[in-house]
Amino acid sequence: MKKIVNLKKSLALFAILFVNIAFSQAKKPTIMIVPSDVWCNTNGYMMEYNNQGTKVKIPNYKKVFQENMDIKTVISKINTLMAERGFPLKDMESAIKTLEAESAENAMTAKSGIAESPIDKLKKVAKADIIIQLTWATKQVGPKNSVNFILQGIDSYTDKQIAAAQGTGAPSFSAETSVLLEEAVLAHVDNFNAQLQKHFDDMFENGREIIVRIKKFNGWSGNLEKQYDGQDLSTIIEDWISQNTVKGRFNTSDVTENSMLFEQVRIPLYDSKNRATDARGFLKGLQDYLRNAPYSIPNKLTMKGLGQAVIILGEK
Amino acid sequence: MKKLFTLFILISSLTVFGQAQKKADKATNEWKYEIECAGIGTDGTYLVKVWSYSKKGSVAITQAKKNAIHGVIFKGFSAGERGCNAQKPLTTNPNIETEKQDFFQSFFEEGGKYMKYVSESTDGNIDPSDRMKVGKEYKIGVIVSVSKDALRKDLEAAGIIRTLSSGF
Repeated sequence: MKKIVNLKKSLALFAILFVNIAFSQAKKPTIMIVPSDVWCNTNGYMMEYNNQGTKVKIPNYKKVFQENMDIKTVISKINTLMAERGFPLKDMESAIKTLEAESAENAMTAKSGIAESPIDKLKKVAKADIIIQLTWATKQVGPKNSVNFILQGIDSYTDKQIAAAQGTGAPSFSAETSVLLEEAVLAHVDNFNAQLQKHFDDMFENGREIIVRIKKFNGWSGNLEKQYDGQDLSTIIEDWISQNTVKGRFNTSDVTENSMLFEQVRIPLYDSKNRATDARGFLKGLQDYLRNAPYSIPNKLTMKGLGQAVIILGEK
Repeated sequence: MKKLFTLFILISSLTVFGQAQKKADKATNEWKYEIECAGIGTDGTYLVKVWSYSKKGSVAITQAKKNAIHGVIFKGFSAGERGCNAQKPLTTNPNIETEKQDFFQSFFEEGGKYMKYVSESTDGNIDPSDRMKVGKEYKIGVIVSVSKDALRKDLEAAGIIRTLSSGF
Protein backbone atom coordinates (compact mmCIF):
# COMPACT_ATOMS: atom_id res chain seq x y z
CA MET A 1 0.00 0.00 0.00
CA LYS A 2 2.82 2.34 1.00
CA LYS A 3 4.60 1.49 -2.26
CA ILE A 4 1.52 2.46 -4.29
CA VAL A 5 1.25 5.80 -2.47
CA ASN A 6 4.94 6.47 -3.11
CA LEU A 7 4.53 5.56 -6.79
CA LYS A 8 1.54 7.89 -7.07
CA LYS A 9 3.52 10.68 -5.46
CA SER A 10 6.44 10.14 -7.83
CA LEU A 11 4.10 10.12 -10.82
CA ALA A 12 2.47 13.38 -9.69
CA LEU A 13 5.89 14.97 -9.17
CA PHE A 14 7.01 13.81 -12.61
CA ALA A 15 3.83 15.20 -14.19
CA ILE A 16 4.34 18.61 -12.50
CA LEU A 17 7.99 18.72 -13.60
CA PHE A 18 7.07 17.65 -17.13
CA VAL A 19 4.40 20.37 -17.44
CA ASN A 20 6.86 22.92 -16.06
CA ILE A 21 9.58 21.98 -18.54
CA ALA A 22 7.32 21.46 -21.54
CA PHE A 23 5.32 24.66 -21.20
CA SER A 24 7.89 27.02 -19.75
CA GLN A 25 8.14 30.03 -22.02
CA ALA A 26 10.77 32.76 -22.13
CA LYS A 27 9.63 36.30 -21.38
CA LYS A 28 8.40 37.77 -24.63
CA PRO A 29 9.93 41.10 -25.57
CA THR A 30 7.53 43.91 -26.43
CA ILE A 31 8.02 45.66 -29.77
CA MET A 32 6.84 49.16 -30.66
CA ILE A 33 7.14 51.23 -33.83
CA VAL A 34 8.36 54.78 -33.28
CA PRO A 35 8.77 57.44 -35.96
CA SER A 36 12.48 58.33 -36.08
CA ASP A 37 13.81 61.72 -34.94
CA VAL A 38 14.95 62.54 -38.48
CA TRP A 39 11.46 61.85 -39.87
CA CYS A 40 9.82 63.97 -37.14
CA ASN A 41 12.28 66.81 -37.79
CA THR A 42 11.86 66.71 -41.58
CA ASN A 43 8.09 66.73 -41.29
CA GLY A 44 7.85 69.44 -38.62
CA TYR A 45 6.82 67.31 -35.65
CA MET A 46 9.34 68.63 -33.14
CA MET A 47 8.89 70.73 -30.04
CA GLU A 48 11.49 72.93 -28.42
CA TYR A 49 12.18 73.53 -24.78
CA ASN A 50 14.76 75.45 -22.86
CA ASN A 51 17.10 73.15 -20.95
CA GLN A 52 19.03 75.52 -18.66
CA GLY A 53 19.75 77.97 -21.45
CA THR A 54 20.19 75.43 -24.25
CA LYS A 55 17.38 74.99 -26.77
CA VAL A 56 16.58 71.29 -27.10
CA LYS A 57 14.38 69.78 -29.82
CA ILE A 58 12.43 66.60 -29.08
CA PRO A 59 9.83 64.76 -31.21
CA ASN A 60 6.18 65.58 -30.56
CA TYR A 61 4.74 62.07 -30.96
CA LYS A 62 1.21 63.06 -29.93
CA LYS A 63 1.07 65.58 -32.76
CA VAL A 64 2.41 62.96 -35.20
CA PHE A 65 -0.42 60.54 -34.42
CA GLN A 66 -3.07 63.26 -34.45
CA GLU A 67 -2.08 64.80 -37.77
CA ASN A 68 -0.27 62.35 -40.03
CA MET A 69 -2.36 59.81 -41.90
CA ASP A 70 0.54 58.13 -43.69
CA ILE A 71 2.17 57.03 -40.44
CA LYS A 72 -1.09 55.40 -39.40
CA THR A 73 -1.13 53.47 -42.69
CA VAL A 74 2.44 52.22 -42.25
CA ILE A 75 2.15 51.31 -38.56
CA SER A 76 -1.18 49.58 -39.06
CA LYS A 77 0.20 47.58 -42.01
CA ILE A 78 3.33 46.49 -40.13
CA ASN A 79 1.19 45.68 -37.07
CA THR A 80 -1.11 43.46 -39.13
CA LEU A 81 1.81 41.59 -40.71
CA MET A 82 3.56 41.11 -37.36
CA ALA A 83 0.36 39.90 -35.69
CA GLU A 84 0.03 37.30 -38.45
CA ARG A 85 3.51 36.09 -37.48
CA GLY A 86 2.37 35.70 -33.85
CA PHE A 87 4.06 38.89 -32.68
CA PRO A 88 1.48 41.67 -32.20
CA LEU A 89 3.16 45.01 -31.58
CA LYS A 90 2.58 47.53 -28.84
CA ASP A 91 0.80 50.55 -30.32
CA MET A 92 2.59 53.79 -29.46
CA GLU A 93 -0.47 56.00 -29.90
CA SER A 94 -2.46 53.87 -27.45
CA ALA A 95 0.50 53.69 -25.03
CA ILE A 96 0.66 57.51 -24.94
CA LYS A 97 -3.10 57.72 -24.33
CA THR A 98 -2.92 55.14 -21.52
CA LEU A 99 -0.13 57.09 -19.82
CA GLU A 100 -2.16 60.30 -20.01
CA ALA A 101 -5.26 58.59 -18.67
CA GLU A 102 -3.28 57.07 -15.81
CA SER A 103 -1.83 60.45 -14.82
CA ALA A 104 -5.32 61.97 -14.81
CA GLU A 105 -6.68 59.08 -12.73
CA ASN A 106 -3.81 59.36 -10.23
CA ALA A 107 -4.54 63.03 -9.80
CA MET A 108 -8.28 62.46 -9.31
CA THR A 109 -8.61 59.25 -7.26
CA ALA A 110 -6.73 59.68 -4.01
CA LYS A 111 -7.20 62.62 -1.69
CA SER A 112 -3.72 62.25 -0.29
CA GLY A 113 -2.28 61.62 -3.77
CA ILE A 114 -0.68 58.52 -5.25
CA ALA A 115 2.88 57.94 -4.07
CA GLU A 116 5.23 58.69 -6.93
CA SER A 117 8.96 59.34 -6.71
CA PRO A 118 10.81 61.52 -9.25
CA ILE A 119 12.24 58.24 -10.67
CA ASP A 120 8.70 56.88 -11.13
CA LYS A 121 7.78 60.06 -13.02
CA LEU A 122 10.88 59.87 -15.20
CA LYS A 123 10.11 56.26 -16.13
CA LYS A 124 6.57 57.09 -17.22
CA VAL A 125 7.16 57.10 -20.94
CA ALA A 126 5.87 54.87 -23.72
CA LYS A 127 8.50 52.13 -23.83
CA ALA A 128 9.16 48.69 -25.25
CA ASP A 129 11.98 46.14 -25.22
CA ILE A 130 12.56 46.49 -28.94
CA ILE A 131 11.96 49.78 -30.73
CA ILE A 132 11.41 49.77 -34.48
CA GLN A 133 12.48 53.18 -35.79
CA LEU A 134 10.60 54.11 -38.90
CA THR A 135 11.85 56.59 -41.49
CA TRP A 136 10.77 57.36 -45.01
CA ALA A 137 11.18 60.16 -47.52
CA THR A 138 9.28 60.73 -50.75
CA LYS A 139 11.53 61.44 -53.73
CA GLN A 140 10.40 63.04 -56.94
CA VAL A 141 12.24 62.65 -60.24
CA GLY A 142 10.34 64.38 -63.04
CA PRO A 143 6.74 63.23 -62.85
CA LYS A 144 7.63 60.04 -60.98
CA ASN A 145 7.41 59.53 -57.22
CA SER A 146 9.25 56.95 -55.17
CA VAL A 147 9.67 56.22 -51.49
CA ASN A 148 12.94 55.69 -49.65
CA PHE A 149 12.07 53.49 -46.66
CA ILE A 150 14.08 52.48 -43.56
CA LEU A 151 13.14 50.15 -40.69
CA GLN A 152 15.62 49.81 -37.81
CA GLY A 153 15.04 47.43 -34.90
CA ILE A 154 16.93 48.62 -31.82
CA ASP A 155 17.31 46.72 -28.53
CA SER A 156 16.26 49.33 -25.95
CA TYR A 157 18.77 48.20 -23.33
CA THR A 158 21.90 47.39 -25.25
CA ASP A 159 21.26 50.08 -27.93
CA LYS A 160 22.28 47.51 -30.54
CA GLN A 161 20.65 47.37 -33.95
CA ILE A 162 19.26 43.86 -34.12
CA ALA A 163 17.39 44.04 -37.43
CA ALA A 164 17.09 46.46 -40.32
CA ALA A 165 15.64 46.75 -43.80
CA GLN A 166 15.93 49.64 -46.20
CA GLY A 167 15.57 50.49 -49.86
CA THR A 168 13.97 52.69 -52.47
CA GLY A 169 10.74 51.55 -54.08
CA ALA A 170 9.98 51.48 -57.78
CA PRO A 171 9.17 54.97 -59.15
CA SER A 172 5.54 55.48 -60.11
CA PHE A 173 3.61 58.07 -62.15
CA SER A 174 0.27 57.61 -60.51
CA ALA A 175 0.48 55.78 -57.17
CA GLU A 176 -0.27 57.80 -54.04
CA THR A 177 2.27 57.98 -51.21
CA SER A 178 0.18 55.65 -49.02
CA VAL A 179 0.18 52.99 -51.76
CA LEU A 180 3.94 53.35 -52.25
CA LEU A 181 4.42 53.04 -48.48
CA GLU A 182 2.29 49.92 -48.31
CA GLU A 183 4.37 48.39 -51.12
CA ALA A 184 7.55 49.32 -49.24
CA VAL A 185 6.29 47.59 -46.09
CA LEU A 186 5.43 44.44 -48.06
CA ALA A 187 8.84 44.48 -49.75
CA HIS A 188 10.85 44.90 -46.54
CA VAL A 189 9.02 43.32 -43.64
CA ASP A 190 10.07 39.71 -44.38
CA ASN A 191 13.77 40.55 -44.46
CA PHE A 192 13.32 42.50 -41.25
CA ASN A 193 11.59 39.56 -39.60
CA ALA A 194 14.28 37.15 -40.82
CA GLN A 195 16.88 39.21 -38.93
CA LEU A 196 14.63 39.45 -35.89
CA GLN A 197 14.29 35.66 -35.94
CA LYS A 198 18.09 35.36 -36.09
CA HIS A 199 18.32 37.62 -33.03
CA PHE A 200 15.80 35.47 -31.14
CA ASP A 201 17.61 32.26 -32.19
CA ASP A 202 20.85 33.71 -30.84
CA MET A 203 19.06 34.68 -27.63
CA PHE A 204 17.77 31.13 -27.12
CA GLU A 205 21.22 29.69 -27.76
CA ASN A 206 23.45 32.16 -25.92
CA GLY A 207 21.06 33.81 -23.45
CA ARG A 208 19.46 37.24 -23.23
CA GLU A 209 21.90 40.14 -23.48
CA ILE A 210 21.55 42.65 -20.66
CA ILE A 211 23.36 45.56 -19.04
CA VAL A 212 24.19 45.49 -15.33
CA ARG A 213 25.22 48.50 -13.27
CA ILE A 214 26.49 48.51 -9.71
CA LYS A 215 26.39 51.84 -7.85
CA LYS A 216 26.65 52.99 -4.25
CA PHE A 217 24.61 55.35 -2.16
CA ASN A 218 26.45 58.48 -1.00
CA GLY A 219 25.76 57.67 2.62
CA TRP A 220 27.39 54.22 2.54
CA SER A 221 30.79 54.10 4.22
CA GLY A 222 32.05 51.21 2.08
CA ASN A 223 32.97 51.16 -1.60
CA LEU A 224 33.81 48.68 -4.35
CA GLU A 225 37.45 48.54 -3.27
CA LYS A 226 36.55 47.35 0.24
CA GLN A 227 38.37 44.11 1.02
CA TYR A 228 36.68 40.84 1.98
CA ASP A 229 39.03 37.90 2.61
CA GLY A 230 41.76 39.71 0.73
CA GLN A 231 39.59 40.40 -2.33
CA ASP A 232 38.07 43.65 -3.60
CA LEU A 233 34.28 43.78 -3.55
CA SER A 234 34.39 44.54 -7.30
CA THR A 235 36.28 41.27 -7.92
CA ILE A 236 33.76 39.33 -5.83
CA ILE A 237 30.89 40.80 -7.89
CA GLU A 238 32.74 40.08 -11.14
CA ASP A 239 33.29 36.45 -10.07
CA TRP A 240 29.56 36.06 -9.27
CA ILE A 241 28.62 37.44 -12.70
CA SER A 242 31.14 35.12 -14.39
CA GLN A 243 29.76 32.06 -12.60
CA ASN A 244 26.12 32.84 -13.36
CA THR A 245 26.21 33.99 -16.99
CA VAL A 246 25.73 31.69 -19.99
CA LYS A 247 29.17 30.32 -20.95
CA GLY A 248 30.66 33.01 -18.67
CA ARG A 249 29.99 35.70 -21.28
CA PHE A 250 30.15 39.32 -20.19
CA ASN A 251 32.29 42.43 -20.56
CA THR A 252 33.44 44.52 -17.64
CA SER A 253 33.24 47.90 -19.34
CA ASP A 254 33.95 50.19 -16.41
CA VAL A 255 35.08 49.83 -12.80
CA THR A 256 35.70 52.62 -10.28
CA GLU A 257 35.52 52.64 -6.50
CA ASN A 258 31.93 53.87 -6.77
CA SER A 259 30.44 52.09 -9.76
CA MET A 260 30.73 49.16 -12.14
CA LEU A 261 29.30 48.65 -15.60
CA PHE A 262 28.88 45.22 -17.19
CA GLU A 263 27.82 45.05 -20.83
CA GLN A 264 26.99 42.16 -23.15
CA VAL A 265 26.05 40.10 -20.09
CA ARG A 266 24.40 36.92 -21.34
CA ILE A 267 21.88 35.63 -18.83
CA PRO A 268 19.96 32.34 -19.02
CA LEU A 269 16.31 32.64 -20.09
CA TYR A 270 15.16 30.43 -17.20
CA ASP A 271 16.15 30.41 -13.54
CA SER A 272 17.03 27.35 -11.42
CA LYS A 273 13.31 26.66 -10.89
CA ASN A 274 12.80 26.72 -14.66
CA ARG A 275 10.83 29.97 -14.53
CA ALA A 276 11.32 32.59 -17.22
CA THR A 277 13.64 35.29 -16.00
CA ASP A 278 14.94 38.74 -16.94
CA ALA A 279 17.62 41.20 -15.81
CA ARG A 280 15.89 41.83 -12.47
CA GLY A 281 15.35 38.12 -11.79
CA PHE A 282 18.99 37.44 -12.61
CA LEU A 283 20.31 40.18 -10.33
CA LYS A 284 18.09 39.09 -7.42
CA GLY A 285 20.65 36.32 -6.96
CA LEU A 286 23.48 38.85 -6.66
CA GLN A 287 21.33 41.02 -4.40
CA ASP A 288 20.83 38.13 -1.96
CA TYR A 289 24.49 37.09 -2.25
CA LEU A 290 25.67 40.56 -1.18
CA ARG A 291 22.99 41.00 1.46
CA ASN A 292 23.88 37.79 3.28
CA ALA A 293 26.95 37.03 5.39
CA PRO A 294 29.89 37.42 5.09
CA TYR A 295 29.27 40.63 3.11
CA SER A 296 26.01 41.80 4.77
CA ILE A 297 25.66 44.79 2.43
CA PRO A 298 22.12 46.23 2.28
CA ASN A 299 21.25 47.08 -1.31
CA LYS A 300 18.49 48.23 -3.64
CA LEU A 301 17.63 46.62 -6.96
CA THR A 302 15.94 48.66 -9.70
CA MET A 303 15.08 47.58 -13.23
CA LYS A 304 14.48 48.98 -16.68
CA GLY A 305 12.41 46.55 -18.72
CA LEU A 306 13.69 43.06 -19.43
CA GLY A 307 17.26 44.01 -20.15
CA GLN A 308 18.72 46.51 -17.70
CA ALA A 309 19.04 46.42 -13.92
CA VAL A 310 20.97 48.38 -11.30
CA ILE A 311 22.07 47.37 -7.80
CA ILE A 312 22.73 50.34 -5.51
CA LEU A 313 24.82 49.36 -2.50
CA GLY A 314 24.50 50.75 1.02
CA GLU A 315 20.75 51.17 1.65
CA LYS A 316 17.52 49.31 1.09
CA MET B 1 -0.90 -4.29 -85.39
CA LYS B 2 -2.07 -0.66 -85.40
CA LYS B 3 -3.12 -0.94 -81.75
CA LEU B 4 0.25 -2.40 -80.82
CA PHE B 5 2.03 0.43 -82.64
CA THR B 6 -0.08 3.08 -80.85
CA LEU B 7 0.67 1.43 -77.51
CA PHE B 8 4.38 1.39 -78.33
CA ILE B 9 4.34 5.10 -79.25
CA LEU B 10 2.42 5.95 -76.05
CA ILE B 11 4.79 3.99 -73.80
CA SER B 12 7.93 5.40 -75.43
CA SER B 13 6.67 9.01 -75.25
CA LEU B 14 5.75 8.53 -71.58
CA THR B 15 9.22 7.09 -70.91
CA VAL B 16 10.93 10.02 -72.67
CA PHE B 17 8.76 12.52 -70.75
CA GLY B 18 9.44 10.66 -67.49
CA GLN B 19 13.18 10.71 -68.18
CA ALA B 20 13.07 14.46 -68.87
CA GLN B 21 11.05 15.01 -65.68
CA LYS B 22 13.54 12.96 -63.64
CA LYS B 23 16.39 15.04 -65.07
CA ALA B 24 14.51 18.23 -64.22
CA ASP B 25 13.96 17.02 -60.63
CA LYS B 26 17.65 16.19 -60.39
CA ALA B 27 18.47 19.71 -61.64
CA THR B 28 16.21 21.16 -58.91
CA ASN B 29 17.98 19.12 -56.23
CA GLU B 30 21.30 20.27 -57.60
CA TRP B 31 20.11 23.89 -57.44
CA LYS B 32 20.32 24.18 -61.23
CA TYR B 33 17.88 27.01 -61.61
CA GLU B 34 17.90 30.76 -61.11
CA ILE B 35 15.35 32.78 -59.26
CA GLU B 36 14.90 36.55 -59.08
CA CYS B 37 12.34 39.09 -57.95
CA ALA B 38 9.85 39.93 -60.70
CA GLY B 39 7.77 42.55 -58.89
CA ILE B 40 6.00 43.20 -55.63
CA GLY B 41 3.25 40.64 -55.28
CA THR B 42 -0.06 41.16 -53.59
CA ASP B 43 -0.25 40.82 -49.82
CA GLY B 44 1.09 37.39 -48.77
CA THR B 45 2.70 36.51 -52.09
CA TYR B 46 6.05 36.77 -53.85
CA LEU B 47 6.21 37.41 -57.57
CA VAL B 48 9.34 35.70 -58.91
CA LYS B 49 10.89 34.85 -62.23
CA VAL B 50 12.39 31.34 -62.33
CA TRP B 51 14.85 30.24 -65.00
CA SER B 52 14.71 26.46 -65.42
CA TYR B 53 16.72 24.15 -67.71
CA SER B 54 15.50 21.13 -69.66
CA LYS B 55 15.80 19.50 -73.07
CA LYS B 56 12.03 19.74 -73.29
CA GLY B 57 10.50 23.21 -73.16
CA SER B 58 7.28 21.93 -71.57
CA VAL B 59 9.18 20.27 -68.73
CA ALA B 60 11.11 23.47 -68.05
CA ILE B 61 7.82 25.36 -67.74
CA THR B 62 6.29 22.78 -65.37
CA GLN B 63 9.47 22.58 -63.35
CA ALA B 64 9.45 26.37 -62.85
CA LYS B 65 6.70 26.01 -60.22
CA LYS B 66 8.67 23.41 -58.28
CA ASN B 67 11.84 25.50 -58.56
CA ALA B 68 10.02 28.60 -57.34
CA ILE B 69 8.88 26.88 -54.13
CA HIS B 70 12.29 25.22 -53.71
CA GLY B 71 13.97 28.61 -54.11
CA VAL B 72 11.65 30.45 -51.71
CA ILE B 73 12.19 27.80 -49.00
CA PHE B 74 15.92 27.09 -49.32
CA LYS B 75 17.62 29.67 -51.47
CA GLY B 76 15.93 33.05 -51.25
CA PHE B 77 16.07 35.23 -54.33
CA SER B 78 18.01 38.14 -55.73
CA ALA B 79 16.70 41.63 -56.37
CA GLY B 80 15.12 42.52 -59.70
CA GLU B 81 14.44 46.00 -61.03
CA ARG B 82 14.46 49.01 -58.71
CA GLY B 83 12.06 48.49 -55.82
CA CYS B 84 12.08 44.74 -56.27
CA ASN B 85 14.01 43.49 -53.27
CA ALA B 86 16.06 40.39 -52.61
CA GLN B 87 14.48 38.08 -50.02
CA LYS B 88 16.04 35.64 -47.61
CA PRO B 89 14.93 31.97 -47.66
CA LEU B 90 12.11 30.88 -45.33
CA THR B 91 14.40 28.47 -43.51
CA THR B 92 17.37 29.62 -41.49
CA ASN B 93 18.77 26.09 -41.15
CA PRO B 94 20.99 25.31 -44.17
CA ASN B 95 20.79 21.55 -43.48
CA ILE B 96 17.02 21.31 -43.22
CA GLU B 97 16.67 19.71 -46.67
CA THR B 98 18.65 16.64 -45.61
CA GLU B 99 17.40 16.62 -42.02
CA LYS B 100 13.76 16.49 -43.17
CA GLN B 101 14.36 14.50 -46.34
CA ASP B 102 11.20 12.36 -45.99
CA PHE B 103 8.98 15.40 -45.69
CA PHE B 104 10.46 17.19 -48.69
CA GLN B 105 10.46 14.07 -50.88
CA SER B 106 6.69 13.75 -50.66
CA PHE B 107 6.26 17.53 -50.68
CA PHE B 108 8.05 17.93 -54.02
CA GLU B 109 6.86 14.74 -55.73
CA GLU B 110 4.84 15.02 -58.95
CA GLY B 111 1.52 16.68 -58.07
CA GLY B 112 2.78 17.04 -54.48
CA LYS B 113 1.70 19.55 -51.87
CA TYR B 114 3.98 22.26 -53.31
CA MET B 115 1.39 22.86 -56.05
CA LYS B 116 -0.91 24.40 -53.46
CA TYR B 117 1.31 27.45 -53.05
CA VAL B 118 2.23 28.39 -56.59
CA SER B 119 0.50 29.66 -59.70
CA GLU B 120 1.72 30.90 -63.05
CA SER B 121 1.09 34.59 -63.35
CA THR B 122 1.17 34.73 -67.15
CA ASP B 123 -1.16 31.77 -67.81
CA GLY B 124 1.71 29.81 -69.34
CA ASN B 125 2.60 32.50 -71.87
CA ILE B 126 6.36 32.89 -72.08
CA ASP B 127 7.93 36.07 -73.36
CA PRO B 128 10.03 35.20 -76.46
CA SER B 129 13.07 36.80 -74.84
CA ASP B 130 12.65 34.44 -71.87
CA ARG B 131 13.02 31.31 -74.01
CA MET B 132 16.64 30.52 -74.88
CA LYS B 133 18.51 27.55 -76.27
CA VAL B 134 21.67 26.91 -74.27
CA GLY B 135 23.63 24.05 -75.86
CA LYS B 136 21.23 21.11 -76.11
CA GLU B 137 18.91 22.49 -73.45
CA TYR B 138 16.24 25.14 -73.15
CA LYS B 139 16.58 27.85 -70.54
CA ILE B 140 13.12 29.19 -69.90
CA GLY B 141 12.10 32.06 -67.63
CA VAL B 142 8.62 31.82 -66.14
CA ILE B 143 6.99 34.36 -63.83
CA VAL B 144 5.14 32.67 -60.99
CA SER B 145 3.34 33.84 -57.90
CA VAL B 146 4.19 32.05 -54.62
CA SER B 147 1.76 32.21 -51.68
CA LYS B 148 4.59 32.64 -49.19
CA ASP B 149 2.42 33.37 -46.14
CA ALA B 150 0.41 30.17 -46.61
CA LEU B 151 3.61 28.23 -47.36
CA ARG B 152 5.32 29.58 -44.25
CA LYS B 153 2.31 28.83 -42.04
CA ASP B 154 2.08 25.23 -43.27
CA LEU B 155 5.83 24.66 -42.85
CA GLU B 156 5.62 26.12 -39.34
CA ALA B 157 2.67 23.85 -38.52
CA ALA B 158 4.63 20.84 -39.82
CA GLY B 159 7.56 21.80 -37.57
CA ILE B 160 9.90 22.37 -40.49
CA ILE B 161 10.62 26.02 -39.69
CA ARG B 162 10.34 27.90 -36.42
CA THR B 163 7.72 30.58 -35.88
CA LEU B 164 8.87 34.07 -34.97
CA SER B 165 7.22 33.72 -31.57
CA SER B 166 8.31 30.16 -30.80
CA GLY B 167 9.90 29.81 -27.37
CA PHE B 168 8.05 32.84 -25.98
